[in-house]
Amino acid sequence: MRHLFVVIDCSRSMEDQDLKPNRLTSTLKLMEAFIDEYFDQNPISQVGIITTKNKRAEKLTDLTGNPKKHIAALKKAVDTVCLGEPSLYNSLSLAIQTLKHMPGHTSREILIILSSLTTCDPSNIYEIIKTLKSLKIRVSVIGLSAEVRVCTVLTRETGGLYHVILDESHFKELLMLHIKPPPASSSSECSLIRMGFPQHTVASLTDQDAKPSFSMSHLDSSSGPGLSLGGYFCPQCHAKYTELPVECKVCGLTLVSAPHLARSFHHLFPLQPFVESSVEELQGNRFCQACQGELKDKNIFTCPSCHSVFCVECDLFVHDSLHCCPCCIHSQNTPFGVS
Amino acid sequence: MLNIEGLLVYFPYDYIYPEQYSYMLELKRTLDAKGHGVLEMPSGTGKTISLLSLIVAYQRAFPLEASKLIYCSRTVPEIEKVVEELRKLMEFYSKETGENNNFLALALSSRKNLCIHPEILHANIVVYSYHYLLDPKIADLVSKELAKKSVVVFDEAHNIDNVCIDSMSVNITRRMLDRCHNNVDTLQNTIHKIKETDAAKLKEEYRRLVEGLKEANVARETDIYLANPVLPDEILQEAVPGTIRTAEHFVGFLRRFLEYLKSRLRVQHVVQESAAQFLKDIFEKVCIDRKPLRFCSERLQSLLRTLEIADIADFSAVTLISNFATLVSTYSQGFTIIIEPFEDRTPTIANPVLHFSCMDPSIAIKPVFQRFQSVIITSGTLSPLDIYPRILDFRPVTIASFTMTLARTCLCPLIVGRGNDQVALSSKFETREDFAVIRNYGNLLLEMSAIVPDGIVAFFTSYVYMENIVASWYEQGILENIQRNKLIFIETQDAAETSMALEKYQEACENGRGAILLSVARGKVSEGIDFVHHFGRAVIMFGMPYVYTQSRILKARLEYLRDQFQIRENDFLTFDAMRHAAQCVGRVIRGKTDYGLMIFADKRYARADKRGKLPRWIQEHISDSSLNLTVDEAIQLSKHFLRQMAQPFRREDQLGLSLLTLKQLESEEMLQKITQIAHQT
Repeated sequence: MRHLFVVIDCSRSMEDQDLKPNRLTSTLKLMEAFIDEYFDQNPISQVGIITTKNKRAEKLTDLTGNPKKHIAALKKAVDTVCLGEPSLYNSLSLAIQTLKHMPGHTSREILIILSSLTTCDPSNIYEIIKTLKSLKIRVSVIGLSAEVRVCTVLTRETGGLYHVILDESHFKELLMLHIKPPPASSSSECSLIRMGFPQHTVASLTDQDAKPSFSMSHLDSSSGPGLSLGGYFCPQCHAKYTELPVECKVCGLTLVSAPHLARSFHHLFPLQPFVESSVEELQGNRFCQACQGELKDKNIFTCPSCHSVFCVECDLFVHDSLHCCPCCIHSQNTPFGVS
Repeated sequence: MLNIEGLLVYFPYDYIYPEQYSYMLELKRTLDAKGHGVLEMPSGTGKTISLLSLIVAYQRAFPLEASKLIYCSRTVPEIEKVVEELRKLMEFYSKETGENNNFLALALSSRKNLCIHPEILHANIVVYSYHYLLDPKIADLVSKELAKKSVVVFDEAHNIDNVCIDSMSVNITRRMLDRCHNNVDTLQNTIHKIKETDAAKLKEEYRRLVEGLKEANVARETDIYLANPVLPDEILQEAVPGTIRTAEHFVGFLRRFLEYLKSRLRVQHVVQESAAQFLKDIFEKVCIDRKPLRFCSERLQSLLRTLEIADIADFSAVTLISNFATLVSTYSQGFTIIIEPFEDRTPTIANPVLHFSCMDPSIAIKPVFQRFQSVIITSGTLSPLDIYPRILDFRPVTIASFTMTLARTCLCPLIVGRGNDQVALSSKFETREDFAVIRNYGNLLLEMSAIVPDGIVAFFTSYVYMENIVASWYEQGILENIQRNKLIFIETQDAAETSMALEKYQEACENGRGAILLSVARGKVSEGIDFVHHFGRAVIMFGMPYVYTQSRILKARLEYLRDQFQIRENDFLTFDAMRHAAQCVGRVIRGKTDYGLMIFADKRYARADKRGKLPRWIQEHISDSSLNLTVDEAIQLSKHFLRQMAQPFRREDQLGLSLLTLKQLESEEMLQKITQIAHQT
């Protein structure tokens, strides 16, 4: 479970046109893609966005697990006027105010996108670096101009990453680096987390028991309250939600579905890399276990536990998206040995 | 452990730069040839440890050939650094050889430690400041008995000719003469008192005077003593003249001399004359002969010893005057006397000064070259190398310049010759008031402040120029714009203010606000302070730091160089300007993981005769396309450079290229490459 604050620099230097059409627009666009991908890979995490300009920092969006809010805010932010200098100190303390209340077993992160080469701080920034360290908050920085000393120290002390972009595609690459969860330190607390796994109920008007109900997630939206028949019901308080994952507004229980959890956990139990070998060594039928296609490439990949053979494309797919070997799962599901 | 042409050298680090190996190779060859050397190697490439490792190894292998190492450095922090490296080296030796070596190393850093003379004789390595070897007044006390078979190293020696000149020059003001007068009165009273209590002492001194100089002569002849320019050999052949033998006569003599000097200072216009003319005038006016003047300083030393004066510092004024007397009467060539009634800039304030100015740096250093077997002159900025042997009058067996091997090019020298409006940029005297040039310089600084992170150091050619430009920028509103990007600090002629500015500058660089330091090319900052890593990401040299060419002393010196050494005035002035420029920009790179921009903001740098005078390790990174850039072009290139440098660069990236393990060093092709690093001239 990750809590990430993204700080976006909105100072004068963001009007520079070395990224097209200007740095701010380019950054916001990449951020939208980042948010989407982030929630895809980390479904039970939360993100908040802070902007900084004119020596101050303010929250664009609060910490929430709902990507739609962020994307809406980012789209609106394209019109903001860039002026003044950013303030690292103020952005960090704003983020700290919320992050310090987060439970210890979750990861607390801040990602700063800094374009300016100067920062206007009301107080000594090394003090706040000490605070960050003690609160175990990891700060990473993506610089858009050049390497600034204070960022190097900040990221080194808190265990984060510091990179400076070369061009737009490099920027995208660096952003995507932060989608993977950072390695957890052994000193983080362990605790049991309560989670609910609601089943999706689908009902139609022809069912006798079907009762239309309001969905809790529509309380905030401006579209009219929708009465619907199906949805996810919180196991604890039976409040209805249309989408997962979500934190129940009534009883505070985190509601997820199994695939979401699996996707979060593949970072903890990563799939072993498959053993590469040449296709000539294979005896027997030459076809890939996953796609059943003929093995035409020079190299084949073998799973170390079940020894099934895969082609290059299936290997890529298994490692990037599936995160589990299909043959291993298949053999587990049929304990009586039908392979 | 390295094998350099058969010599086993202990090197206390796991990794070595190829140019360190190359440097040690050249050094060994110089020592083998028992001659002097001029070696230029960029700073931050481990010059100190290379020197120490090789020479210590040489001492162990050939203890009779190189019995002592005398390491001369400029400042106390530099001396401390050398001692640190030495310590490391000694520990490494004990670890590797298992035996406790009996090397004694001695470092002298302050005046408190002057009376150590017996210890110096036994030390294998002595580390101290230049002055203990070059300044005749001090050298006598400290370095007199150093053995002939020693290796002398002058580190950071690019200004050694100025050190030599300054140590032999004397400036006499009216205040100094007044103090001298008081000293002489004190002397007289002391003599009077002693006469009443212990006349025998003075008689003893008289006798010693006749004998004493003989002693010094014998010592010189048998090579025990180092020659002293203030007491040249010829004098030792003679006895002290009768006119100053007795103490009272000597004091009277001093008084007459003092009166003469006071009268000379009462001029209304500038006077320039040679030493010979000065002496003639002294003889005519106060009947003081040349001979007694020559013995003046020796006579005074003897008197002070006899009177058992404990605190010599009280008599510094009369010591200075007596040194002046000896110098002016000894050397027929190489000195000039200029008497100015007031300073050029303040013509209404009467401030007469007598400048006794040495024009020939070889006089002070000649004893060193003649006495010691191998003298090594080394620095990061010694170009053009061939000038030093000419002005210091010695013949080196090795003259070599080394470059840095780089895995990634960490310096970016750019020559900005034009503004965006195509106006040529220069600090030439004629264009100094040009509004467009000033505005373009301001624009350059403004743009740089927007793209360079952390610290920028900007050098101007003089305090006056800097003040004018900054005032102009203030009026044009440029300063305000710059301050939005970075804070601005400025070096002044006051030491305390400058220290404070430097401190705050460093603080601003540390905490992300960023700062610009405006300083002057011959000031304290450019001579002593290093701007490593984030303290200096860019250095801008506004103009060419030519020395104030209207100074009479400089004019006399140039004339002398032209007559004696056939060095053209322009050549020397350019050499001097370029070496200061190189020194300034060299402050910003101190190591291979450091990186920095070097902006030369003057169109004259593009000319081959000027560019060619930069050190090789800077020159090789100036590409033909970066010779006459506009401000915008320079900014584009700088942005690109900074982005590249911000990418991760670790030690593994350097291995095999610019950083070698022992195994890599010994491969054939690496040894081949190394021979190409040293460029012989």
